[in-house]
Amino acid sequence: MADLPLLSIVTFAPLVGALVIAFAPARWARLLALATALATWLVSLYAVTRFDPALSGFQLVEEVSWIPLFGIEYKLGTDGLALVLVVLTTTLTWISILASFKPIQTRIKEYMVSFLILEVGMVGVFLALDTFLFYIFWEVVLVPMYLIIGIWGGANRIYATIKFVLYTLVGSLLMLVAILATAFAFQEANGGSWVGAFDFEVLRAHAATAGFGDALQMLAFAAFFLAFAIKIPMVPFHTWLPDAHVEAPTAGSVILAGILLKLGGYGFIRYNLALYPDAAQAYAPLIVLLSVIAIIYGAIVAMVQPDLKKLVAYSSVSHMGFVTLGIFIFQPQAMDGAILQMVNHGLITGALFLLVGVIYERTHDRTIAKMGGLAGLTPVYAAVFGFFVFASAGLPGLSGFVGEFLALLGTFVVNPWAAGVAALVMILGAAYLLWMFQRVVFGEPSEFLLGIRSHLSDMTPTEILTLAPLGALVVVFGLFPGILLDLIGGSVTSALDAVGHGSAISVDPLVPAVGLGIVVAAVIVQLANALFGGGGAGEDQPGEAAPEGAS
Amino acid sequence: MSHDLLIPLIIAFPLAGFLITAVIGRRLGANAFWIPVGAVVLSWLVAMLVVVAALTGAEPYGEHGYGVTLWTWIPAGALDITAGFFVDSLTAALLIVVTTIGMLVHVYSIGYMAHDPGRWRFFAYLNLFMVSMLLLVLADSWLVLFVAWELVGLCSYLLIGFWYRKRSAAEASKKAFIVNRVGDVGFILGLIAIFVNTGTLNIRDSIDVLTSETLVAFPIPVALVALLLFAGAVGKSAQFPLHVWLPDAMEGPTPVSALIHAATMVNAGVYMVARANPIFASAPDVMVVVAGIGIFTAILAASIAMTQTDIKRVLAYSTLSQLGYMFASLGVGAFTAAIFHLMTHGFFKGLLFLGSGSVIHAVHEEQDMRRMGGLAKKIPHTYWTMLIGAVAISGIPPLAGFFSKDEILGEAFKLGFTWVWAIGIVVAVMTAFYMFRLIGLTFWGESRVDPAVEPKIHESPRTMTVPLWLLAIPSLVLGVLLTWPGPPLGPLLGLDGTGPLHTWLHGVFEPGLELLGHHESEFALLGIDGVLIAVSVAVALAGMLLAWRLFGVEIGPFRGAQRPEQVKALTARVPGLYRASVNKWWFDDLNHVIFVVIGGFSARAAAWFDSHVVDGIVNGIGTVTRRSGGGLSQIQTGRVQNYALGIALGLIVMAGSYLVIVGR
Repeated sequence: MADLPLLSIVTFAPLVGALVIAFAPARWARLLALATALATWLVSLYAVTRFDPALSGFQLVEEVSWIPLFGIEYKLGTDGLALVLVVLTTTLTWISILASFKPIQTRIKEYMVSFLILEVGMVGVFLALDTFLFYIFWEVVLVPMYLIIGIWGGANRIYATIKFVLYTLVGSLLMLVAILATAFAFQEANGGSWVGAFDFEVLRAHAATAGFGDALQMLAFAAFFLAFAIKIPMVPFHTWLPDAHVEAPTAGSVILAGILLKLGGYGFIRYNLALYPDAAQAYAPLIVLLSVIAIIYGAIVAMVQPDLKKLVAYSSVSHMGFVTLGIFIFQPQAMDGAILQMVNHGLITGALFLLVGVIYERTHDRTIAKMGGLAGLTPVYAAVFGFFVFASAGLPGLSGFVGEFLALLGTFVVNPWAAGVAALVMILGAAYLLWMFQRVVFGEPSEFLLGIRSHLSDMTPTEILTLAPLGALVVVFGLFPGILLDLIGGSVTSALDAVGHGSAISVDPLVPAVGLGIVVAAVIVQLANALFGGGGAGEDQPGEAAPEGAS
Repeated sequence: MSHDLLIPLIIAFPLAGFLITAVIGRRLGANAFWIPVGAVVLSWLVAMLVVVAALTGAEPYGEHGYGVTLWTWIPAGALDITAGFFVDSLTAALLIVVTTIGMLVHVYSIGYMAHDPGRWRFFAYLNLFMVSMLLLVLADSWLVLFVAWELVGLCSYLLIGFWYRKRSAAEASKKAFIVNRVGDVGFILGLIAIFVNTGTLNIRDSIDVLTSETLVAFPIPVALVALLLFAGAVGKSAQFPLHVWLPDAMEGPTPVSALIHAATMVNAGVYMVARANPIFASAPDVMVVVAGIGIFTAILAASIAMTQTDIKRVLAYSTLSQLGYMFASLGVGAFTAAIFHLMTHGFFKGLLFLGSGSVIHAVHEEQDMRRMGGLAKKIPHTYWTMLIGAVAISGIPPLAGFFSKDEILGEAFKLGFTWVWAIGIVVAVMTAFYMFRLIGLTFWGESRVDPAVEPKIHESPRTMTVPLWLLAIPSLVLGVLLTWPGPPLGPLLGLDGTGPLHTWLHGVFEPGLELLGHHESEFALLGIDGVLIAVSVAVALAGMLLAWRLFGVEIGPFRGAQRPEQVKALTARVPGLYRASVNKWWFDDLNHVIFVVIGGFSARAAAWFDSHVVDGIVNGIGTVTRRSGGGLSQIQTGRVQNYALGIALGLIVMAGSYLVIVGR
């Protein structure tokens, strides 16, 4: 057993499943997909038992030369951070597949294949230790998600999915340039040898000792940052998220919020901090500022969203602000908190999207104003919904609190003012969540719901089965966050060590200038569009989507 | 049995009760109360064992209490938070109040909620509240305390909104939770500041470090820490300006008002400040703020209570006012007096609330005192017990409220806070007045009850009246018990001593008192203390007499008619003040403007900005790219020369930028 390529099995087991489904009868697709996802999940859990948190560095490493000419390798390995996120991925994947059994009734085979390939990409991103391989997995994620939103999504799905893909591509292409530029820089410093130019461990060691040049660091950091900031997403790169969520099918939203956003947070810690520590130090104040803005801004905008999914989407923007805040404040407790927040947000927000899906299945509507009185109509649903609403509001004792508290505490140590402002989200978060909860669950049943009273059955056993594990984990990680903290301790230390090596850098005047230029250009473009284009974004969306949606 | 086991058992019983009732309660129907009530009774029994051991200083408690560690909750590097309990005499004092009143309210609820189909849910929530409240007083770490702090808030939310179909109940529960969160922001920042200063979140260890003389400079000033903690207390104990949630919280079932919003949860802020007394004592300026906020809340709330017509709202404002007394007491440095008043107030206010519930029950869910009157004969148990409560809160000796209130006012005066004392005396008049106005409007004079309900008025069942009497007893004697043989009664008989409460709490408050330089002063019955007592008893009687004159009286030989025309004449003489009182000084309207109007506008503005500007730019870039793509396609001429020119230009630009970057 000792020599099994465990990580490759976790990564590619879903691909095998997808191939089997592709050639098997369609009526088996659901169960085969669930069996594959469960098997992958079990293997990932087994990998946890094989992982020793006491050791530093990467474990279970697999290395095969792939394109020796450029030193590109097939290299997988894991530390605690990656492992935790991999298990989160495998867990949410089987839950999502189970949750898709009823809602997805068309092209089931294609759907399940897409979902499993999506899992390959996500797990691969976390496990890849070769920057080129990482990029490939990164792009692999994009395609199935594009299809899941574009084929099984809502009415305006084409607009949403194109926006999602284009936006993400802009970031990732720049990231590819940065990966290549870093490799070139390494090759140059390495006397012309390509060996290790894409090997993350080698690059990290180089960054920690010789270090990359200032200019490369500033530009490459910015490119990586943009890719991850779009993914996570940070204000002001977040507007694809509400659109994508609203149009995505329930399980798509669960994975989008649960895992895809975490790709960004993971990328920050793995690549931005480790490879470009000087630039990280230079950019950190700006990123901290943006994070605090995101935390508050996301919560305020969530307050007035009329659509349940949009509200949860904006709450994600607010919650992920704690992740970026915790990462870029460079403090151990804060980074612990950021990572916990990633896991907990995956569980809690995943559950909230499942719950919105439950009500959408019955009403085919998500408008908050049309709901009301669900506590009397569907009491079990109301109770479960309430549990996750309070978990999302950061009720202590449940998992969401620990991450936010640690991030807040670590931030306070470094910058009390940032912590003070970010803490206001405790009020805002409670406000938008409880207001929503009140309008949906309390009061007399609404006219709309009474009209479709016969469809309003309470939660089915399958639905409970999808939510029960998430609820259990929310309680367990709330009471025993040590389970996670032990696993990620090594990753946090090494990430902060990397930044600790960062020397002072004179902020390149080019960088703020370029940033300002982009903003100004964007504003001009928008103004020009409004003035001469005969209409702005508002007119654009339906115009783009209508013909596609009709076909 | 080992106390390592007994202390967790106090919480374990209601926790088990909650979990069992939550899972199978619905199926138990009318019998759903057996498990939760039984759990609380068992919890009370165990708590009493612990209390006796802790107060007598038996092993393992000794003088400074005893802690039990359960598990390492958050092991995050330098931050290592253990989940554990700690019991000393302050905890024990609180345990008496929480478990005793909790148990009686559970029993009372059997009768009160007998006809509610959701009673299993009600009892489950009540048990969860007991778990949370007990965790709050037993917590040994600031963060565990904060957990409990939020959990009691959650239970309060669930129970205020228990009748969720009522829009007002749902609104009130949300308001309570959100307003509390405002204070909680201060609290959590305060406890983080404690960690930054001391490197620990254990309550005792951190206080030891904060008050040790070896360390001088902390990164965060202790005054700021104290202020932030106090913000949490202001929210939970509903002090000005976060007092607005408590009156609305009366939307919940009355047993909830008695337990959570009078006797236990709202005391959490007082408990927390008392627990942190050395921190506050290190920041004397903050102590003045505490005293000021407290006494201001006391008079503000009392002024509102004088004109309210909803029986529960009068009691709610009264609670605010009495909590204000407690904070005033903490602020002047009379920590023991604050805890004393917390205990007596818990019992007599719990009694008054349960009594009001019995009244509401009798007149068929009517809460407006203008449609009551003349109930004394019809519901005698309720009447007599509530009368005891009213005399107790008014401060007439020898009932409980007299001792604790008088100690607060006396200490304030003797410690040099004359202004606190003076305002406190005014509040004492108002308290006696509004309490007897309540009694008069409800029980005396002619009946104004709806004629359809009138013949059906009946006394409540035993499960309700027995708890009333059981609360009336401590309201009568607790003051004597906790001070005997000390002042003020002891010296009257030539006895000497400090009274048990002072003995118990001495160790807890010693560090704070030492920092403040306060010393126990001699009690002079024939000197200053006697005069202060005479003054406060006199003003309490004055308030009562005024209320009797206006709202009648019918106790044994005393008979007097109600004089509504005189009430009108009196209010007409101070129309401004009267309107202010009736409208609760317009705080709700102010909050509406700030949060609903301005806040709502800002949120909508932010949402507009997000969809039109932030997203507008994104979509704008898309549009421009598409259109310019169309425009640029014209340069696809198919002529090789043009392409070559383009490639050359591109190369020049790339080479140039490469030189610029590398050359730097």
